[in-house]
Amino acid sequence: MMAGWFTIAKWELLRSKLKFDIRSMIMLTLSLILVIIASYAASQTGMSMNQKIYLAAVSQPEVQPIIETDQRFDYVLVDRYTDSNYYEYNADVAIIGNNVYLGDTRKAASAGDALENTFKTYRELVLTAYNDVNNSHPVWITVHDLERPQDFQLAGAEETAENIKRGANTTVYPGNIPGAEGYTGRSGSVKTGSSTISPEEIAALDEMQGRAFFEKQTIATPSNFSPPIPFTAILYAFLFIFPIYFISQFYSTSLMDERTNKKGELVLAAPLTGRDVVIGKTVPYLLITMIIQTAITIYILGIPSTFADIERIFLVLAAIFPVVLLFFALSFYSAILSRSFKELTFASVFLSVIISGYLFFPAMFANIHAISSISPITLIVRLIENEAVLTNTYLFSTLPFYFVAISVYTFGTFIFREEDLFTQKAISGKIVDCFEIFLSYPYGSVFLLSIIFIPFVYMAQLMLIVMLFNLPLAYSIIAMILLSAMAEELVKSIGIYTLFKRKIADITLRNAIKYSILSGAGFFVGEKAVAFLTLAPIASSAFGSVMTMGTLLLIPLFLHITTVLISSLVMYKRGTHYYLVSVVLATLFHSIYNIVILRGLFF
Amino acid sequence: MKTIAKKEFKELMREKTFILAIIIQLFIASFSTFLVIGLTSFYDPSTLGNVEMEGTSIAVVGTENDELFKILQESNIRTNLYYDFQPAYTDFYDRKIDAIIVTPVGSSGGTDLLNVDIYLPKSEIKATVVSLQLKEPLEKYEQSVRDIRTQRLPGYTPIEFNVIKRGLKTTSTYFEFIYVALLPLLVFTPAFISGGLIVDFITEEYERKTMELLLVSPASMIEIVSGKAFLATLIVPFQSFVWMLLLSINRVSINNSLQILLLVTIVAFILVMASTIISVLFRDRGVAQLLYSLILIFLFMSSYLFTNSPMNLVTRLSIESIGTLESWAWIGIYLLTGIFLYLAMIMTVKQDPNNI
Repeated sequence: MMAGWFTIAKWELLRSKLKFDIRSMIMLTLSLILVIIASYAASQTGMSMNQKIYLAAVSQPEVQPIIETDQRFDYVLVDRYTDSNYYEYNADVAIIGNNVYLGDTRKAASAGDALENTFKTYRELVLTAYNDVNNSHPVWITVHDLERPQDFQLAGAEETAENIKRGANTTVYPGNIPGAEGYTGRSGSVKTGSSTISPEEIAALDEMQGRAFFEKQTIATPSNFSPPIPFTAILYAFLFIFPIYFISQFYSTSLMDERTNKKGELVLAAPLTGRDVVIGKTVPYLLITMIIQTAITIYILGIPSTFADIERIFLVLAAIFPVVLLFFALSFYSAILSRSFKELTFASVFLSVIISGYLFFPAMFANIHAISSISPITLIVRLIENEAVLTNTYLFSTLPFYFVAISVYTFGTFIFREEDLFTQKAISGKIVDCFEIFLSYPYGSVFLLSIIFIPFVYMAQLMLIVMLFNLPLAYSIIAMILLSAMAEELVKSIGIYTLFKRKIADITLRNAIKYSILSGAGFFVGEKAVAFLTLAPIASSAFGSVMTMGTLLLIPLFLHITTVLISSLVMYKRGTHYYLVSVVLATLFHSIYNIVILRGLFF
Repeated sequence: MKTIAKKEFKELMREKTFILAIIIQLFIASFSTFLVIGLTSFYDPSTLGNVEMEGTSIAVVGTENDELFKILQESNIRTNLYYDFQPAYTDFYDRKIDAIIVTPVGSSGGTDLLNVDIYLPKSEIKATVVSLQLKEPLEKYEQSVRDIRTQRLPGYTPIEFNVIKRGLKTTSTYFEFIYVALLPLLVFTPAFISGGLIVDFITEEYERKTMELLLVSPASMIEIVSGKAFLATLIVPFQSFVWMLLLSINRVSINNSLQILLLVTIVAFILVMASTIISVLFRDRGVAQLLYSLILIFLFMSSYLFTNSPMNLVTRLSIESIGTLESWAWIGIYLLTGIFLYLAMIMTVKQDPNNI
C-alpha cells in the first residue's frame, strides 16, 4: 500500500527533473534574474505608468524644479503672455505667479488636483532637508488601536441585524462580549501622556517612511498620516499565491501529459489503485510547494530564534496549507475534465482568478471589517503582525477549504479510471460519473451527497458576499437571494438527476418523493451543522442572516424538501432533459420564499 | 496557413474556451470596479458623502482654546469636548463616540514637538472613516503651526500656490485610476491571454505527437506556426474593441481609439511571436508557460521605467496627452520590434533540426 504511491512519487520527481534540462534551467534562471532586476528598478520609481499625462504651461523658471519632481507632468516654459493662452496649445494647467489656472476638461480638473499634491510633496521634501524637526515637522500624530465590544453590522442594515440577532439567531450570536471587569483593567494601560514617542531626529522620519509599507503605521506627521489600509495584505497574498499558481500549472500539466500520451494506461494497469496514483502524483508537488512557502514565511518573519517564532511559522504554514490543497484539488479536477491544454489553461486561470478573489478581497479589509476573516490570508496578516489567532477563527476560514479540497479529490479519484481519462467524454458526463460512482456505494445516498455539498455552497455564498459587496445594499441582497438559492437547488437536485439519468433508481413518483425528502433533509442537517460550527463570527451581519435564513423552527426543512421536490417532479413528468428548467423553477420558488421572509427586514 | 488558422479557430469555438476567456476578463473588470470604488473612497473622503461623516462623532480631550479643537470645529466633523480622558474613554467603550483625540500640550509658538494622540477603534471600518475625516483638519493644523515655526528656518520660503478650481470636480486618484490603470489593463489583457494561448496551440501538437501528422500534409512548419500565431493575434483587437466600447458606455471617453487598437494588435503580435519562439524551442507546456509568464512580468516591470511604454502610450493617447509625431514614432518602434521577432521566429523554426 505505502510503497505503491511512493513509487509513483519517485517517478514523478525523476520525470520533472528530466523536463528541466540544462537549457531550460539556464533560460529560466536568466529570465528570473531579469525579472528581479526589472522589479527592483521599477520599485525605485513611483510604480505607476503615469509618465507625462498632463501638460503644464509655466512662465517662471523657479517652478520648474517643483514640476520636475512629479513624473505625471510634462511642461513647457513660455513667456507670460503665451502662458495665459495655455488652452490654445492643449496645456491642462497654467502656472502664472502664485496662481494655477485650469482648463475646462475633466483631465484639467484632475491635473489641478494632482498639482496640489505635487506642491505638498515638494514642500515636505524641502522641509525634510532642514535638519530641524521641531520647526520643520512640528506636529506628530500617534495612533493607538483600542479594543471595544465588536458590533459590525453593515451601514444601513443595523436595525435589521439587530432584529435578527434578537429573534432568529439567538443561538448563533456569540455571547462573549467582554464584561466590565476587562474594562477597568484596560483603561489603566492607556497612556494619556503626550510626548512619549516623539522622534528626536530626522532619521526617524526617514525610517518611518521606509517601513510604512510593511508595518502598521503608528506615528506620522499629518501629511504622512494615512488611514489603515492593509496594502500589506495584498502584497503578502501575491507573495504566497504566485508560487502556488506556477506549481499547480506543472502539476496539472503532468496529469494532462499522462492522459494525452496514454502513459497513464500503463500506470493504471500496474497493480496500483487509482488512489495510489493520485497520491503519488500529488505528494511531490505538495511537498515542493510547502518548502517554498516555508522559505517565504521565513523571509517575511525572519530566521526564528525562539520557540514562539517557530510556532508562528508553523501557524502561518497551517493557514496557507488548505489554500495550497484547494488550488491543487481544483487543478487536479480540471486536468481530468479538460480535453486539451487550451481548455486546461483557461480552466486553471479561471479558477485561480476566483480563488485569488476569494483570498484577496476580504483580506484587504483585514483590521477593518470582520468579514475579512473568511480569507486565510487575513490569518496570515494577523500572524505576521504578531496578533493572536483564535482556534475558531482558524477553523472558520480554513475548514471550508479543507472540506472542498478533500471532496474534490475524492470525486476526482472516482473517475481516475480508463474510461474517463482516455476517452473524449463530454465534461458533464464525467461530472455525473463522479456522482454515479458515489451513489452506487453502499453508504452513498442523496442524503449524504447533500451534506457533502454544504461546504461548496457555503464557499460559493461567501464568494458572492465578496463579489456583491460593492453593489447598493438592496440590489446585492436580491442578487444574493437569487444566486444562493440557485446554488442550493443545484446541489440538492444533482443527486436525484444522476439517479434518474443513469437509471440507478426507477423514475417513479414514489422515488421522486422519497429522494426529495432524503436530499432536502440532508441539506437541512448539513446547513444547521455549518451554521452552528462556523457561522457564528458573521451571523450578525446582514449577509450572514441571508445565508442562515430561518434558523427558526422546522420551516426551512420543509422548504428544502419542497423545492427539491419541484425539481424532481419536473424530471419525473418531463424526463431528465428538463433538469436545468426544473432547477430554475425550484430557485424561483426558493427565492420568493426568502424574499417574503426578508421583506419585512429590508424593504 | 489559412487552413491551420481556421482549424484552430473551430477548435477554440468547439471547446468554448473562448467563453471562459471572456468570463475571466469580466471577472478582472468587476474586480477592478470594486477597486475603483473601494480605493477612491479610501483615498478621498469626499466621495464617501456626508452620510458617513454624520455617522461618526469624535471626542476631543483638551480645552476650548486649543488651536486644534478650533480647527476641528470649523471642519465638517461632529466633536465633543472632554476635559479628561477617562469619561471620553467610557463613552468610547459604550459606542457613544468613535474616536478620541488628545490635543497637544505645547503651543504653536513654542519649540517642543506637538504630539496628537488619536485613539481608534480596532478592527472597525469606522477607524478608516475617522482617519479620512481627520486628515484634512490635521494638515491644516500642521500648516498653521508651520506658518509660525518655519520662519525660524534659515532661507526657507513657503511654497504657496493657489489652484483656482472650476466647476468640474474630480479627483486625480479617480481619473488616473481609470486612464492609467484600468484602461491599459483591460485592452492589454486579451494580448496577455493570446501569448499564453499560442503556447498551448503549439506544445499540444508536440505532446499529442500530431505535429508529425500535420507536417506530412503539404503545409510547412513555418506555415503551421504562422497560421496559429496569426489567429492568436487576430482575436486580440476584437476583444480590446469590446472593452473600449464597454468603457465608453460607462461614460469613459477614449480618444484616438483606432491608434490604440493598432498599438494593442502590434503588442499582441510581439507577445505571440515571443511565446512562439519559446514553445518551438522548449516544447514542454509547463516550461514554456512558466518562461512566458516570467518574460511577461519582466516586460511589465520594464514598462514602469520609461515614458511611452505600451501601457503609458495607451494612457497618453486616450487622453490626448501626446503629439501625433511622437505617438506614431513609438508605434513604429514597436512595429519594428514585432517584425524583428517575426524574423527571429522564422530563423528559430528553420534552425530547429527536429522540425524539418
